[in-house]
Amino acid sequence: METRAPVRPDPGTLAELVRKLRGDYGERAVTSQAVREHHGHGEGLVDSALPDVVVFPESNEEVAAIVRLCHLALVPVIPFGVGTSLEGHVAALYGGVCVDLSRMNRMLEINASDLDCRVQAGITREQVNAELKGTGLFFPIDPGADATIGGMASTRASGTNAVRYGTMRDNVLGLTVVAADGRIVRTGGRGRKSSAGYDLTRLFIGAEGTLGVITEVQLRLYGVPEAIAAAVCQFPDLASAVNTVIAAMQTGIPVARIELLDDVQMDACIRYSKLEGFAIKPTLFFEFHGSAAGVREQSEAMQAISDEFGGSAYQWAAQPEDRSRLWKARHAAYYAALALKPGTVGFATDACVPISRLADCILETKADIEQSGLTAPIVGHVGDGNFHLVVLHDRDDAAQRERADALAHRVSLRAIGMGGTCTGEHGIGWHKLDVLAREHGEAVDLMRAIKRALDPLNIMNPGKTVPL
Amino acid sequence: MLNPALLTALGTVLPAAAILTAPEDTRPYECDGLTMFRAQAGAVLLPETEAQVVAIMKLCRAARLPVVARGAGTGLSGGALPNREGVLLSLARFQRILAIDPLARTATVQPGVRNLAVSQAAAPYGLYYAPDPSSQIACTIGGNVAENSGGVRCLKYGLTVHNLRRVRLVLMDGEVVEAGGTALDGPGYDLLALICGSEGLLGVITEVTVKLTPKAQDAKCVLSAFDDVMKAGDAVAAVIAAGIVPSGLEMMDRLTIRAVEPFVCAGYPDAEAILLCESDGVPGEVDAEVAVVRGLMERAGATLIEVSTNEDQRARFWSGRKAAFPAAGRISPDYYCMDGTIPRRALAAVLKRIAELSAEFGLPCMNVFHAGDGNLHPLVLYDAGRPGDVEKTQAFGTKILELCVEVGGTITGEHGVGVEKLGDMCVQFGERELERFQGVKRAFDPEGLLNPGKAVPTLHRCAELGRMHVHRGALPHPELPRF
Repeated sequence: METRAPVRPDPGTLAELVRKLRGDYGERAVTSQAVREHHGHGEGLVDSALPDVVVFPESNEEVAAIVRLCHLALVPVIPFGVGTSLEGHVAALYGGVCVDLSRMNRMLEINASDLDCRVQAGITREQVNAELKGTGLFFPIDPGADATIGGMASTRASGTNAVRYGTMRDNVLGLTVVAADGRIVRTGGRGRKSSAGYDLTRLFIGAEGTLGVITEVQLRLYGVPEAIAAAVCQFPDLASAVNTVIAAMQTGIPVARIELLDDVQMDACIRYSKLEGFAIKPTLFFEFHGSAAGVREQSEAMQAISDEFGGSAYQWAAQPEDRSRLWKARHAAYYAALALKPGTVGFATDACVPISRLADCILETKADIEQSGLTAPIVGHVGDGNFHLVVLHDRDDAAQRERADALAHRVSLRAIGMGGTCTGEHGIGWHKLDVLAREHGEAVDLMRAIKRALDPLNIMNPGKTVPL
Repeated sequence: MLNPALLTALGTVLPAAAILTAPEDTRPYECDGLTMFRAQAGAVLLPETEAQVVAIMKLCRAARLPVVARGAGTGLSGGALPNREGVLLSLARFQRILAIDPLARTATVQPGVRNLAVSQAAAPYGLYYAPDPSSQIACTIGGNVAENSGGVRCLKYGLTVHNLRRVRLVLMDGEVVEAGGTALDGPGYDLLALICGSEGLLGVITEVTVKLTPKAQDAKCVLSAFDDVMKAGDAVAAVIAAGIVPSGLEMMDRLTIRAVEPFVCAGYPDAEAILLCESDGVPGEVDAEVAVVRGLMERAGATLIEVSTNEDQRARFWSGRKAAFPAAGRISPDYYCMDGTIPRRALAAVLKRIAELSAEFGLPCMNVFHAGDGNLHPLVLYDAGRPGDVEKTQAFGTKILELCVEVGGTITGEHGVGVEKLGDMCVQFGERELERFQGVKRAFDPEGLLNPGKAVPTLHRCAELGRMHVHRGALPHPELPRF
């Protein structure tokens, strides 16, 4: 069976569909240019593609009804959270209906004693944590942006503390999904284990909306650690910083976050955040979670390892205000990077390699950046082997944009060549379709077969994730 | 018996000694740990290379012959039960450890490598493989992947799916596919998760890369005794609710304690329930956690609390727990091991209900389980020689599984569906979910030749089948503790 090639629905079909949606959802079915434009792109590279209509459903049943209409009319469905994805996931490449889940933002239940909760997909991670206030629990996954839980599940988001808490893959217990035929499917459950049936939960996680619309998510929660401490250490060169990380992972210190900033990024941060007491050197930022005694112990072990690799100016802080002072540089890194060259724009690469190849990969990439003549500071969640370049370039300079793209492409290929991946956390969207085939080879056929089996009409977010 | 033409063709792929067709040769493969179901395959094949597996798959597909893969045969749900019309593909000869990368903390092994052998090979680097199904001295990594095996440590360190990086898989059409990678999450659909726990229905695994975990610097086990099972259940909930993630949290009830104590002399006190709660990590962290656990146990009304002070004592605390299954075999002619998972806060209520059911059915039930993740393993004790016992046991078992689903749990925590729980899948899933399962199956194996009749029931075949019955301890590998 061949997959149906995605096509833009004809105007007559669309007009009829919009009329029906208007009838069913009134003001919640919007066709204004401004709203469509807002829903036509995420962050990162702005390559906009507008949906024909945006609908704001309020229940699983409404989402199911919308998908059923689209299924009958063969019109694309593009799920939308808050639009913080980076690889063009929400662009309506073939037009169609954007399903904006922002009105489905309720916490449905908190099971404090089981350490789980169930949310509607449109709730953001900060809202989740606000709802959890007072329970002594929190949801740790932190991709930076205040993304929706549905979006984070769909892109299999991770973030700075994945090294301790894992990614969305590890922290979603179950889902409610509206499948491509408009039927509501429940996967997983509240039990911590199940070996019944195929793992549909993880199949939908990271599927980027190409197999169905996630409408509810059962999340795994964690106890707020009794103590949190932060530390910062500077290194004479990138290699010693990276080797410190590798050694730390080796000894099993349960670090909650390890972030690497290279000298260029530190320079940017020092200037942007007006930091004092830091040199323009590769720097590691650490965060430790545990008991008061435990975090001290972890930090001391970390300092001993840093010392071995020539680390200097190791600073440690357990008080919240000192911690945030130490981490301030890291939090503003992206904006600091952009401020390096006012007037330029940047996009982020997302290489991830086995940690044993991390030093090679970062050092080769650093040399590559220097040769390219571009400015591209490096920031990495290095405990997982994941690092990003913010490739700065002048949007209006075609030659420079080309050089920037070429650099990003080489970073992807280098990571794949080292047994890694071109996307540790940002996903494929449609920007990285070409590299997926290179990375997965024969397995892409299997992904196509799955897409065909679960969305034979190819209406779910067509043109993304799996090259057809 | 397979048709002679196919046998001749297989003979060009495999040496004669690797093709077993005589009934006395195929008999050892007639069942796995679920001995109630037995069947002899048309042929048992023992390939040694991936190229041989590819060739076998192509031949079988051309002949439309079912293929059932098998590791060590320690599975508890009949996943490796042969198909009479087809071939049984034993991966037992895929025994090589291919690479250990201590920096990346991964091990790449062939599927027939035993679970414990991975940890042993990683030990010189201060690393080990975390999932520890209790059959770990015999069960293979390939089988662990197929069943998504758990164990005691999975509460803290995750199931197989959380410790798996990459697999190589031969599909039914002979195509070789790699899923996952050695870096963190790869892009695209999560094929790795689909394959993990797919019970041999999607492909034949020929190579596995697993994540290794650094050995904790310190570990201590807290043993607590209770005069009431409900109090022990509440203590479990209190530990979890305190945000503590122990590296093992296991519970035994009185019947279990009385069965194991004369068997292994673990030094357990006589009590209604015993909880074992282990902490591991850096020494300061462990001591802090142990102090919190001790406080919680006191508050929950523990009658006795002991903290292990050395490795010998810690091992002794665990010895009784690990010997629970063989001990059940000593006190009852037959037992039936259940496997269901419930949300942890329902633990006390479910235990109470099981006790009531036990009285109703007039069958004793030992409760021994991974309390921390709510994975129950009630052992219903019965005597197959006593008229009506088997039927009563099955009815009791069904009630327990229905109870699990009712409180929001699942019908199998870690033993898989296999043939055992095919019928129960209909209790857990509706038509819509089963349709998606079939869709996934079609994508991998459109003709349905891999391990047919297992794991996922067809829509029109939601019928009750059977369960695991162990008669007079006649299990394969009876020496293994099972839970």
